[in-house]
Amino acid sequence: MNDSGATLRIETPADARGGGPVQIDVKGLDFFYGKSKALHGVDLAIPAKAVTAIIGPSGCGKSTLLRTFNRIFEIYPDQRAEGEILVDGENILGRGYGLSRLRRKVGMVFQKPTPFASSIRNNVAFALSYYDRLPKSELNDRIEDALKQSALWDEVKDKLNSSALGLSGGQQQRLCIARTIAVRPEIMLLDEPTSALDPISTAKIEELIHEMRDRFTIVIVTHNMQQAARVSQKTAFFHLGNLIEFGDTADIFTNPRVERTKDYITGRFG
Amino acid sequence: MVTGQSHTLKAFDEELDQLRALVSQMGGLAEHAIREAMRCLMKRDCDGARRAVEDDRKIDALEAEAERQIVQLIALRAPMADDLREAVAALKIVGVVERIGDYAKNIARRVPEIGPSANIEPISLLPEMARMVAEMVHEVLDAFVRRDPERARLVVERDAAVDDFYNSIFRALVTFMMEDPAKIGEAAHLLFVAKHLERIGDHATNIAEMVFYAATGERLPDRPRGGRDPAGA
Repeated sequence: MNDSGATLRIETPADARGGGPVQIDVKGLDFFYGKSKALHGVDLAIPAKAVTAIIGPSGCGKSTLLRTFNRIFEIYPDQRAEGEILVDGENILGRGYGLSRLRRKVGMVFQKPTPFASSIRNNVAFALSYYDRLPKSELNDRIEDALKQSALWDEVKDKLNSSALGLSGGQQQRLCIARTIAVRPEIMLLDEPTSALDPISTAKIEELIHEMRDRFTIVIVTHNMQQAARVSQKTAFFHLGNLIEFGDTADIFTNPRVERTKDYITGRFG
Repeated sequence: MVTGQSHTLKAFDEELDQLRALVSQMGGLAEHAIREAMRCLMKRDCDGARRAVEDDRKIDALEAEAERQIVQLIALRAPMADDLREAVAALKIVGVVERIGDYAKNIARRVPEIGPSANIEPISLLPEMARMVAEMVHEVLDAFVRRDPERARLVVERDAAVDDFYNSIFRALVTFMMEDPAKIGEAAHLLFVAKHLERIGDHATNIAEMVFYAATGERLPDRPRGGRDPAGA
């Protein structure tokens, strides 16, 4: 006779779930590389101030999706997006949504660190001076603040005028994050930010993502499923340009609802 | 219900198969231990009972090996979704099967305490109860190996019959003790035997719940409870 006991409700900590209001609302998004369609009618509501991971096999459209959020694809003439991406309720694909305004709101960090061939200070100052005219003292404060927020300050504070190219790969990537943070975006797009880094640098970046999640809406594309599981509250699984499943990360990795998601995350993909 | 698609990494499939075989082997030993302890009790075979007690070590050794394999699997393969649920379920199941082995051992230990000519009528009910719980253990481990949630659910349903059995044996033994106080000692041992069997049924039910969760990701709905049982179990 098993002990039954009274019904006990245990609430999952709010922290574990990205349940905030929606900040990026993707509606019926199609994407084309020339005539080839890479995304098929994607609907996805990304919550504010949480980490959303996008996973899926190569060619599934995850990086393509990320590149629509800051319209970086526009530099290629044969690429186009159709549908709506509402950021705070406004369609960023619509005519009249200024690119400069968008880029200020949405920062991006790429797979390989891309520091400018200049000093550490200039790397951060560059973006700041592009958007704002700040008095020197405030500029210095903002640089220090960005480097602290990206957990790099202690390692570089005595060599701000040294070349950024002298930093290690992991430090360069955190510098790129500092550069992004400096202009105070609301959304951070991370495109496989640790795939070129060693495990210790990766852990530092992941810790940084964890710290940043209360301040930014973070969307991370990663090939590393363990990383998606470690850093995100929401996970979206893509396959062949379709969103297959989207849900709480804890559910996706313990009890996915869709067979294809399960096959992918358990390593049964044929 | 075993999922059709195999892992890209074949070694992972082999390790999962190996683990299932090990859990199944442990279950087979536990099932045998129940039947053997009961045979010794009914035949008053004290030598056989001693061997049955010693045989419990084999179950303990298999539990240690299964734990080692599961920890290694989690560390090296980082299982996800149903694989993860199965690994965690296996870890819990081997602990419960070990406990079932202990109950069988405890039954065997009581064999010398029952006199060779003790004529305690309710003892005749025990073999049928033992057969029921041994079958539950067999079925539930089969359900685990086959990832079959329906089979697990059926095992849960069978526990009510075991509880009914226990309650009627309890009443019969209490009545017997009142009628023949000289045999209270022996009857008390038999009461414990019945209780051990009842607990084995509960443990098989617990395993069934783990198997159901591992296979489906859902919890089994709570069973409807019957009235108060007189044995207070």
